[in-house]
Amino acid sequence: MVDGEWSPLAEGSDTVLISRQLNGIRLHVSWIRGLLRHRTGRFMATAVGVALAVGLLASLGSFVAASKATMTRRAIDTVAVDWQVEAQQGADPTAVAAQVASTNHVAASEMVLFASTNGFESSKGGTTRTTGVGQVLGIGDTYRSTFPGQLRDLAGVGAGVLLFQQTAANLDVVPGDRVSIARAGLPAVTVTVAGIIDLPQADSLFQRVGAPIGAQPQAPPDNVLIVPTSVWHDLFDPLAASRPDLVRMQVHARLDHRLADDPAAAYSDVASQARNLEVKLVGAGLVGDNLGATLSGARSDALYAQVLFLFLGVPGAVLAGLLTAAVAAAGRDRRRREQALLRTRGATTRQLIGLGTVEAVMVGIVGFALGLGLALVVDHVAFGSARFGATAAAAIGWSAAAVLGGLVIAAASIAVPTRRDVRDLTVASARRAVGRATSPRWMRWRLDLALLGLSMVVFWLTSRNGYQLVLAVEGVPTISVSYWAFAGPALLWVGAGLFCYRVANVIVRRGRSVLGALLRPLAGGLSDTVAASMQRQRHLIARGAALVAITVGFAASTAVFNATYRQQAEVDAVLSNGADVTVTTSPGTIVSPASPSAVAIAEASGVAHVEPIQHRFAYVGADLQDLYGVDASTIVRAGRLQDAYFQGGTARELMATLGAQPDSLLVSAETVHDFQLLPGDALTLRLQNGSTKAYVDVPFHYVGVAKEFPTAPHDSFLLANAAYVASMTGSDAVGAFLVDTASNDVGRVAESLRQQFGTTATVTDIASSRKIIGSSLTAVDLDGLTRVELGFALALAAAATGLTLWLGLAERRRTFAIATALGANRRQLGGFVWAEAGIISLVGLASGTAVAWALSNMLVKVLHGVFDPAPASLAVPWSYLGVVATVATVSTAVAGLAAIQSARKPHIEMLRDL
Amino acid sequence: MTETTVVRARGVARTFGTGPAAIVAVHMVSCEVRAGEHVALTGPSGSGKTTLMHLLAGLDLPTAGTVDWPALGDIGDLRPGPIAVVFQVASLLPPLDVVENVALPLLLQGADRNVARAVAIAALERLGLESLASRLPEELSGGQAQRVAVARALAGHPRLILADEPTGQLDHASGAVVIDALIEAAIAIEAGLIVNTHDPAIADRLEIRWSMASGRLSQKAATPC
Repeated sequence: MVDGEWSPLAEGSDTVLISRQLNGIRLHVSWIRGLLRHRTGRFMATAVGVALAVGLLASLGSFVAASKATMTRRAIDTVAVDWQVEAQQGADPTAVAAQVASTNHVAASEMVLFASTNGFESSKGGTTRTTGVGQVLGIGDTYRSTFPGQLRDLAGVGAGVLLFQQTAANLDVVPGDRVSIARAGLPAVTVTVAGIIDLPQADSLFQRVGAPIGAQPQAPPDNVLIVPTSVWHDLFDPLAASRPDLVRMQVHARLDHRLADDPAAAYSDVASQARNLEVKLVGAGLVGDNLGATLSGARSDALYAQVLFLFLGVPGAVLAGLLTAAVAAAGRDRRRREQALLRTRGATTRQLIGLGTVEAVMVGIVGFALGLGLALVVDHVAFGSARFGATAAAAIGWSAAAVLGGLVIAAASIAVPTRRDVRDLTVASARRAVGRATSPRWMRWRLDLALLGLSMVVFWLTSRNGYQLVLAVEGVPTISVSYWAFAGPALLWVGAGLFCYRVANVIVRRGRSVLGALLRPLAGGLSDTVAASMQRQRHLIARGAALVAITVGFAASTAVFNATYRQQAEVDAVLSNGADVTVTTSPGTIVSPASPSAVAIAEASGVAHVEPIQHRFAYVGADLQDLYGVDASTIVRAGRLQDAYFQGGTARELMATLGAQPDSLLVSAETVHDFQLLPGDALTLRLQNGSTKAYVDVPFHYVGVAKEFPTAPHDSFLLANAAYVASMTGSDAVGAFLVDTASNDVGRVAESLRQQFGTTATVTDIASSRKIIGSSLTAVDLDGLTRVELGFALALAAAATGLTLWLGLAERRRTFAIATALGANRRQLGGFVWAEAGIISLVGLASGTAVAWALSNMLVKVLHGVFDPAPASLAVPWSYLGVVATVATVSTAVAGLAAIQSARKPHIEMLRDL
Repeated sequence: MTETTVVRARGVARTFGTGPAAIVAVHMVSCEVRAGEHVALTGPSGSGKTTLMHLLAGLDLPTAGTVDWPALGDIGDLRPGPIAVVFQVASLLPPLDVVENVALPLLLQGADRNVARAVAIAALERLGLESLASRLPEELSGGQAQRVAVARALAGHPRLILADEPTGQLDHASGAVVIDALIEAAIAIEAGLIVNTHDPAIADRLEIRWSMASGRLSQKAATPC
């Protein structure tokens, strides 16, 4: 008998009976029964490997499903008005409104009236201020409750005549002031402003409905006044009669939001309904499909979710497969010897292959059952629900793919090697335990180096198109992904794993004498023998080291990518909100940095630092742009400025320039291009004087490019020295206060400031900002994926180190039993075990770190599109990496100790077989 | 007077398992072997021979009675060193070549590696195996492997050699070579020798014969117990 405790041939110890069984299905049944009874550990370890792969794939199916549902929901939430149906000239607005209201899926609709004005005018303190052209909107009483996201109150009451904040700033108007509206060909009319509002979605509100796809978006007007419908009619019905070209009517509609979870499917539904409505309107109206446009954008996010799955999830499943193969391979010698024994007793090749296939099928079935169970638990914990797909078909597809993956892994790990051994090995060679190790073919062909080289080439080719992975053109139903880009990291991962195998192999093969010397403190006089033993088992050691390397590479690169993603999500939230808490002063309210309200913010409970930021509007030529005045000595830290926000120097360098040369100005890249600016060029802006409110020329010098700045818009803005702006405009009025809470409860601090300021300032906090920002970065909820992946990565790290080491050592229990019978003590056995564990761990961890570094950098570059803004540096989650290293070390130590313990007390049955 | 008893068993029993399923492999066995004595242990399969060998080698502990080694020391001093065991199947370590396998017990005793290698080569030469020195166990025939195992047992100059069916898987000629080597070496180093065998021809070559049946030992050529 072979290897101790059990062989199927021992069952009943009756050769004749076994020979008969060879001819029937009972052989398979008794083989499986024997496996389950006598090889329970190995069978279950292999099944657990399959379960990990199945569980990971199924969980990732849930991730993609959950992400898509989140993206659809968030896309819906970000749209204030789903459809803007514009009645065409000559059409009956009432008929259009009736048609919209009666359309399926329209939950509510409101009529909105638009009138063009030549400008607004205000008079205060003997000074008259006028604006350029603008729009006056008429809305019904229920409009604000039907579309709550369209208008945001900044000051005054939320009903009656409402003035857009930028117009209020231009006119220096506060609630209660009067504003005159110019009407073409008619006398101006005057209204009293009841409130100041912001229009968060001004771009879509003032869109050109029916503009061709790809047309330049129309900039929203700077000057907007909103009045009740009845007032609008009073003011503009005469204009409609004399100049119908200056008025228009829209029906704003809110749709039933019970849409498909998949953004692509939801987009398709909404877009087709919009087209259907246009058909029914027969030219009387055009549909501005805001919801469709947003869902169209979310489609690319959904594809990114799939891309993330491919980049981050599939390697985990592949790794689980490799581990299963390694676990199965650890029992290969045992299996080969059993095959040899079976063959000597008359088993045919077909029967032996049949036994391997039956074993693989059983492992696959148990593995996928465990894996799906594991996925249900993981999904419930990570995603809050256990769905394997956004739709029933997708759920079935994901589950089927996971099961198929599990069966393929089981087949590749057990059935295929069995078939190969049975066909290619002789009885004598099957009995071999070590063999004169020759290098595998791939090593001789230098496949590892070729893969690494190819990876670099693919990466370079991908970088040429700016890592553009996902292409979802607005209005076009088809979307595409450049799957070619996956090849770079995939080839790097595989090539690096094989290269690690080569390195470990070379170290153990060529460094025998060095290893012997190094192992002396561990193995004493046996060090040369241990080194010799390792040299002859170098392929086993190299395989273990490569497995550890790719596992560590996977775990660490995934963790680094996820941490970087989270870091950038935080950066995005900071950019949107400005700081932990931001207090934005209301238009018309003059608050200086030293005013009592500013001091009150600084003294509020939980506030660590307050950074005042000026916010003005400045003319660059004819363009009106946002200008931010900052204190150059404190803004880098207070605004958490990153180097990636700037061009032409680091954040610190450019702020130092701004401090040293007060007339320095940072502008957008677009402005540099438009005005052909070179560093040092003089640039004159027109800024409003604080006292006269008149625009005055203020000279600046261009010193660099600002791409991002907290609270600033994404397109164009200007950054200047606050003290210089104050001195040149005669006003140090603050636009916003960036409040650092130093990790104190942000919500509590924000609430306290809200109560303090009431309607005189808007207080926003980063926690709310995290929930509402709708960039592609945060639309993909990576938290669940992170939890799943990092959890699986830990399990894989433990399995790659401890489990495979233990199984490898357990397979050599006979060798250790002999050594014990010869008199080897615990320390001497430890020399063999720890030397092997040490070299596998050291080479594996060192190579894994290198793989992780390279892979993380490549992943972050290739998945550049997921990040907004692009990261200046990678975020390294040291605590998680520490946990991975600890788990790997502890599981290695436990496996080694268990092997030594088992060898020190060899089972009596094993001794009887010697 | 120098103590010559290399192993002594008194009322030794070994039971596997408990309750109704318990199997008594060795029952109330008393015996002893002195240096230079050569014992053949015979008996049918399942009679308890291998279990007794393990007990006498200190590889297993009795459930009743005592085993001691007056001339060799305590149970912790027996291996590597005074006791060498030859198992019934090739028991060489697969990743070590022949000379490394033979030198292993010496290294386990703490011998200098060069000395251990020289002694191992000398042991191989004594059995005519020096040409196999650099081969791996899997490259040897069954007879060659068992002879190497004998060389390994003899290399440490043990005081007691226990061979558990050393020829059980060999043909007659190969078995004869192995037994010749064992007897010659035992004589040369004045070691006690116990050979567990089914082969009457081999048993006949040893001056003392013990026979086991159902766990009990009977002795035909007496060594007083």
